[in-house]
Amino acid sequence: MKEILENLRRAILQYDKVAAESWGKKAVAEGIDPLQALDVLTSAIREVGDGFGRGELWLPDLVGATTAMNCALPIIEEDIKHKGKIQKSAGRVVIGTVLGDIHDIGKSMVSALLRAGGFEVIDLGVNVSAERFIEAVNQTNPVLLAMSALLTTTAPELAKVINTFKRKGIRNEVKIMVGGGAITEKFAKDIGADGYAPTAPTAVKLARRLIGLI
Amino acid sequence: MTISGFARNFSPLRILTEGQIEDIHKGTLAVLEKTGLRIEHERALKDFDKNYCQVNYDDKRVRIPSGVVEECIRRCPSSFRIKARNSKNDMLVGGNTLYVSSFPGMETVDLDSWENRKPTREEFYDAVTVYDALENIHFMGNYVPWFGFEGLPPVMCIPEGFAAQTRRSSKVLKMGYLKNSEIFTIAIAQAVGVEAMVSCMASPPLTYYTEAIDALYRGIEADFPVIMLSGGVMGGTFPATIAGGTLVNNAEQIGALVLAQLVKPGAKVMVENIAYVQNMRSGSPSFGGIESSLHNAIFCQYFRKLGVPVQIAGSGFLSSKISDSQLGYEKGVAGIITAFSGAHIMYLCGGLFGELTAHPCQAIIDNDLAGMIGRFLRGVEVNNETLAIDLIDEVGPIPGFYLDKEHTRKFWKNEQFQPKVADRLSITEWIASGKKSTLDYAREKMKEILETHRPEELTPGQEAEVERILEEARRYYKKQDLM
Repeated sequence: MKEILENLRRAILQYDKVAAESWGKKAVAEGIDPLQALDVLTSAIREVGDGFGRGELWLPDLVGATTAMNCALPIIEEDIKHKGKIQKSAGRVVIGTVLGDIHDIGKSMVSALLRAGGFEVIDLGVNVSAERFIEAVNQTNPVLLAMSALLTTTAPELAKVINTFKRKGIRNEVKIMVGGGAITEKFAKDIGADGYAPTAPTAVKLARRLIGLI
Repeated sequence: MTISGFARNFSPLRILTEGQIEDIHKGTLAVLEKTGLRIEHERALKDFDKNYCQVNYDDKRVRIPSGVVEECIRRCPSSFRIKARNSKNDMLVGGNTLYVSSFPGMETVDLDSWENRKPTREEFYDAVTVYDALENIHFMGNYVPWFGFEGLPPVMCIPEGFAAQTRRSSKVLKMGYLKNSEIFTIAIAQAVGVEAMVSCMASPPLTYYTEAIDALYRGIEADFPVIMLSGGVMGGTFPATIAGGTLVNNAEQIGALVLAQLVKPGAKVMVENIAYVQNMRSGSPSFGGIESSLHNAIFCQYFRKLGVPVQIAGSGFLSSKISDSQLGYEKGVAGIITAFSGAHIMYLCGGLFGELTAHPCQAIIDNDLAGMIGRFLRGVEVNNETLAIDLIDEVGPIPGFYLDKEHTRKFWKNEQFQPKVADRLSITEWIASGKKSTLDYAREKMKEILETHRPEELTPGQEAEVERILEEARRYYKKQDLM
C-alpha cells in the first residue's frame, strides 16, 4: 500500500498523467482507503502550490501537476462515492468558465488548488450557461460559486449569471467569486461579485476569506 | 497621390538565414496540410471544400494542401491603396513604407494616480481629435482610443467608437468586430466614402470562430482590406519556442488569407501579429518582452518574403502601467525592431498596459518616438552636397566652425528630428522651468491641440447617415436583448 501511494504521489510531482491514472487505478484495485489516496493527491498539489508560492516553481509545473492529478482524481472520487465515504471538506465550491468561453487552464488550476486547500470542488467545465450554474448551486448547495472569464467579450456573462441569481431571489445563498484575464477588481465590484482573485493561489486565499476561515 | 508614411531607405532586418526561413515556410505548410485549422463557419467550410482542401464537417477541421496555399499567396496584392476621408491621408501599403498607428486601451488613466477608469464621451472625442492632429500617427487603429465610453452599452462600443473616429478624423480607419458590429461600421465607412480595414482574428491555437469569418466575408464583399491577425501566447496557446509559435501563427493567418483569396482572387489582405509570451508566474500574457520583438522580426521577414503586407500590433503591448522609463524602453525597443524589420504598419502611439489602458498624452509622447523612428528609417543621404567636402576644406580646423554657413542653414532641419515634447533644456534651464518632464509638456500640448486643431467635419448629409446607422445598430441589438 505504501508503495502505491508513494508512486501516486511521485506521479503528480513528476507531472506524469499516465502514471497518475495507472497508480490511481491500482490504489482502487488494492482496496486502499480512497480518502487516503485523495489525501496523497491533495498533499502533492499543495507541495507544488507551495513551491509556486515561494517562486521556485512556475505555471507549467502547476499545470503539469494539476493535469496529472485530474487523471487520477475521477477514479479516486468514484471510489469514494462507491464506498459511501464522506470527504472532509472546508466547504463545497462550484466552479466553471462562463458561456461562450472555453478557456480552462486558469480555472483548472484554481480547482486543483482549492482541492489542495481542503475544499470539495464540483468543476462544471467550460462554456457554462447561467442556467447550469444555478442548477448546480441548487442541487449541490455550495458555499461558494467561482466563475472565470478570460475574454472581454465573455466577461459580461459573469454579470448575467449574477443578475440571474438576483432575479431568482437566490443571490444571498452563495458567495460568488470571479476571476480571469479580462476581469479587474473594479469590474467584479461593479457586477456585484463578492470577491475577485487575479491568480490561482490568491483564489484559494479569497475562498477561505469569503467563507470565514480566515 | 503622394505616398505618406515613413520611407525605409535601407534593407530590412533579417534575423533568420534563408535556410531558416525556408524551414519556417515548410513547417507552416506542414501544419496547414497535416494539422489544419478548425473553422467554425459552414459557408467557409464549403468554400474550402470546393477548392481542393480536405474538410471534415464533423470536427470542422480544414486541411489545406501546399499547392492551394502557395497559389493563394501568389494572388495577394503586395501593395494597395486604402482611401481615407482626406486623400492626403490615403495609405499605399507595401514596399518600403511604414505607417504608424495609434493604439487603444480598454480604459483611460488618471495621469496623477495612474488608476484606470472609463472615459467620458467628451474625453473620447477629444482623444480622437488629438490623434487626428498628430502628424506621425498615419492611421487610426481599431478600438482607438478606448473600448467605448461611460454610459455606452458594451455592444455599442464598436459602432459608437468607429462613428467618433469618422466624425473627428480624416485618417484611414480600421474596425474590430463584436456581435456583427461590422455590418454597421462598414455601412458608416461607405456612407462617408472611405475604405476601412476589417479585422479577422484567429483564436489560437489554429481556430477561427464564426464572428471572425463573418467579418472576413463582409470585408471582402465591401471590397475593404481584410486584416488577418493572431495574438497567441507562447507557452500557452502557442508553443513555448519562438520558432514553433511562428509556425502556428503563420498557419492561422495564412489559413484565413487562403479563404479570402478563394472567395475573391486578388482580395486586399494584410497579416498582423500580436504574439507574446506567457507570464509563467501569473498566467497572463506577458507584454513588452524582447521575445515578442524576436517573433515580430521573424513575422516581418517571412511575410515580406511572401509578398504579403505586414502589420505589427505587438509593438504597442507593454507591461508598464505608467509613463515611465520601463514603458520607454519597452516601447522604444519594440518600435525600433518592428520598424527595422520592415513592417508596413506598426501600432505604437497611446497605449500603456497591454490593451487595457491608453491616454492621448502618451500618444503625444509616442508621436515623438514615431518621428524619431521615421527619421532613422529615412537614413542618410550621401551625395556631393551632403558630403560637403569643399565646405570641410573651406572651414578647416579650429577656429573654423559651421553654425554660420549656408550649408548648415540649408540642411540642418532636414537632418535633425525635432521632438515636440521631449525635454532638451540644460540642467539650469530645466530647474528654472519647474523641472518639467516630457509628460508635463505632453499635457500642455494636448491642451494646445484641443484649442487649435479642427478636424475635418462630416457634411450634414454624412452626419445624418452616420446617426441613422447608429440608430439602426441600437434597434438591432435591442431586438437581440443585448442592450
